[in-house]
Amino acid sequence: MTKANFFRKIAFGLNTHQARPDHPIDWAKSQLDNIPDMVWDGSIPTIKDMLNYYGKFVSTDRRVLRKKHKGDRAGYESAKEKLRSETGERYFENLELCIRHNTILKSGSPVFERLWMFWCNHFAIIDKDFLAEFSTGPYHREIIRQHMTGQFLDLAVAATTSWAMIHNLDNSESVGPNSKKGLRLKQKGRVISVNENHARELLELHTVSPSAGYTQDDVVALSYIMAGWEHPWTKKREECNMVKFNQKLHEPGKHTVLGKTYKQRGISSKNKLLDVLADLAQHEHTRHFIAFKLCRHFITDQPTEAMMAPIVSAWEETGGHLPSIHRALVEVIYAYTDDHLKFQNPEVWMLQMVNLAEMNWPPQAEDMTYDFIARPGYLKRRPEKLMREIGHMPYRPIQPNGFSDLERDWISPELLIRRLALPQELSPYIRGQINFEDIIEKNCSTPDEPLQMISKMTTQLEKLQYVFPGYWMLKA
Amino acid sequence: MINRRDFILGSLTLTMLGSPLFSARAEALEKRNLVVIVMRGGMDGLTAVPPNDPVLASRRPDIMVEDTLPLNADFSLNPQLRQFHKCWQDGQASIYHATNIPYTMRSHFEGQDLMESGGRTPFAEQTGWLGRGIYAAQLDGLAISLPMPLLLRSPMAVDNYYPTNLRMPALPVIEKVRSTYPADSLLAQTMDKVIQRPVSMLKSTSSRDAHDLARTASRMLAKDDGPRVAVFDIEGFDTHASQGGGEGEHADKLADYDLILSRLKQGMGDAFNNTLVVTLTEFGRKLDQNGGSGTEHGYGTAVLLAGGLVKGGMIHADWPGLQKKQLYEGQDLNATMDARSIYCSAMAACFQVDFELLRRQVFWNEPLVDLTDQLFI
Repeated sequence: MTKANFFRKIAFGLNTHQARPDHPIDWAKSQLDNIPDMVWDGSIPTIKDMLNYYGKFVSTDRRVLRKKHKGDRAGYESAKEKLRSETGERYFENLELCIRHNTILKSGSPVFERLWMFWCNHFAIIDKDFLAEFSTGPYHREIIRQHMTGQFLDLAVAATTSWAMIHNLDNSESVGPNSKKGLRLKQKGRVISVNENHARELLELHTVSPSAGYTQDDVVALSYIMAGWEHPWTKKREECNMVKFNQKLHEPGKHTVLGKTYKQRGISSKNKLLDVLADLAQHEHTRHFIAFKLCRHFITDQPTEAMMAPIVSAWEETGGHLPSIHRALVEVIYAYTDDHLKFQNPEVWMLQMVNLAEMNWPPQAEDMTYDFIARPGYLKRRPEKLMREIGHMPYRPIQPNGFSDLERDWISPELLIRRLALPQELSPYIRGQINFEDIIEKNCSTPDEPLQMISKMTTQLEKLQYVFPGYWMLKA
Repeated sequence: MINRRDFILGSLTLTMLGSPLFSARAEALEKRNLVVIVMRGGMDGLTAVPPNDPVLASRRPDIMVEDTLPLNADFSLNPQLRQFHKCWQDGQASIYHATNIPYTMRSHFEGQDLMESGGRTPFAEQTGWLGRGIYAAQLDGLAISLPMPLLLRSPMAVDNYYPTNLRMPALPVIEKVRSTYPADSLLAQTMDKVIQRPVSMLKSTSSRDAHDLARTASRMLAKDDGPRVAVFDIEGFDTHASQGGGEGEHADKLADYDLILSRLKQGMGDAFNNTLVVTLTEFGRKLDQNGGSGTEHGYGTAVLLAGGLVKGGMIHADWPGLQKKQLYEGQDLNATMDARSIYCSAMAACFQVDFELLRRQVFWNEPLVDLTDQLFI
């Protein structure tokens, strides 16, 4: 076999205008050390910009409209509709999808982009409140992407203390029972304890995983350590203020997590979380868990220890240097190409089709300009609708463990219908004649059967409808 | 509100599916419907059905349920469960309290996996207890959702339905795609389900509104040759903050449950008398409120039973008490009944299959208690 599947296993395949590299491993490895710029001809909103929009949306809704139109449902609805447009509430998720997909397809580092998608899903932000509308896209761009060429620890710190994650997992609601605020509230007769949500997911999903055998006491201790990391609440902006460490909410004293005791160094207790994260990032269960997830995402639903070993070693040797880990992963993926076939999730599969068939998708900056007055038009809402249709909205995972990597979770009659129907749906965006023979030879390790089948087909649409939902393109 | 993607429906109909399995067995049976309402995130039994115990006020001062509806001397009902209360008054609702699946580790993902699979080891099973139950009863299923929920997955590919605007390719093209899938693979089996569909199910349509789907569900369940199993999914019971009591985030979710119940009752008419509606969640919540007026992940909770097949007006519980030493790990309402006993009994009653057969074939011969006669008509 030709290992041609490698280019879809690790990227988005090679289209007719993308030459097969002479040294596939070097080609992939050369994409890991630098963060490619986002590819977008318009302005790209920052996390701060988007917090302003988010803040305006929620504070106007809660503090102005609800009061002004109390008891007048119709008046409230129409004022809210206007607010939606003014703040781009229906627009920004579409813009983000365009920026995401355009960059992924055109940055010139498709392997980096696949890894970006992986890490966004590892530190997943769920579909809650207005995160998908205003916050998750910028979080992916500024928090996840900007920390992919350093140590895992830096990525973990950035994600853990980001506005999106703190909001996502309720850490602002956590009050240490013996903190200044906790004691004051207790005097008033309130029952005070910490919120365990973020601490639990930090252990379970982001670092060591349940295999580390942590206990409920560990979760509570980590919650104490994390208490104080909050997005402060203000009248004007509601919860939309940058994350700060607030000593008044923090549980004082020493706390033991996974057998090690953490205490304050210096005048602030801020270091306690950073110290725990430093240990979690080096924990053998973290290395193993993330090596397992990488292999499961790229190679097979059932990774083997042998597969994970080189990734775990690279982590160990470099203290969690992500480009080194990614390099080890590239070699493992290449080595196991053609031994295992991996089912491609809907978003990756769609982008592979867009790349291989050279479709003019997604809409470009000039199509996505918005006046913040009217409801966004058809094309401006199309990106989100399309992703909703195929059941894979990257800013809307339902649970903090993100989207599944398992084939069986992506197979149902209706999900297969989406795979059957999408080629025709996107066919108007094809620029010219597609050289199917070339695509199949370059991207499928076993090209004979599909080549033979398409030789009997006459129309481009029929070939498109056959090739992409076919076995050789669904899996890599 | 329930999300549109969260609405799932199980079906056993020959006319819709052309399933050979429906056959003589289903035809010979009296039509009984089983509706499972999945409450994701950890439903707090102490907010839904608070015991009349002063301990509650001292441990949860800010999230006490006020203006409760009366049940009996020992328990009250959350005021958002109005329809459930009507059923209670009509003798069509009961409660099993202090129960849960045998899982105490407080992780949503493990807990939800187990509440759907019915097993004891997280992520070890690839099928769900409802899917295996349907399979053991020689019936067939249909989910109305885009992905296939674990709860309904069975040893055979299960069908689903979810409206789309997209246009399907011509059948010969689909058959060519099908020919590329390895024989007997899940992909091939699943594509066969697509190919066998009646044309009416392949027409493009865009109505995925939860109200429309709920209305469709009750209509289909009411039909003699319609579906027999429905699953609804409500997200958002994970109220770590601002949980509230009779009003608030947890109560809002209970109101979603109540709305589904009321739509079912309204839409199904007389068929509601031959229906059982049960709730399912991964765990209850801790007794103590936290600093953000929410609660943390716990253990024991309550299962709500409604519909004409329920022996009504009863609260079943081997009540463990709320004193510290009576709590699980000193923190949670304990579970004194394995909730799988309730689900196994519910399937026995609705599928009209022997409890023992289901206990062996669906729950690996686990020591579950037959509650069929105690709970159901």
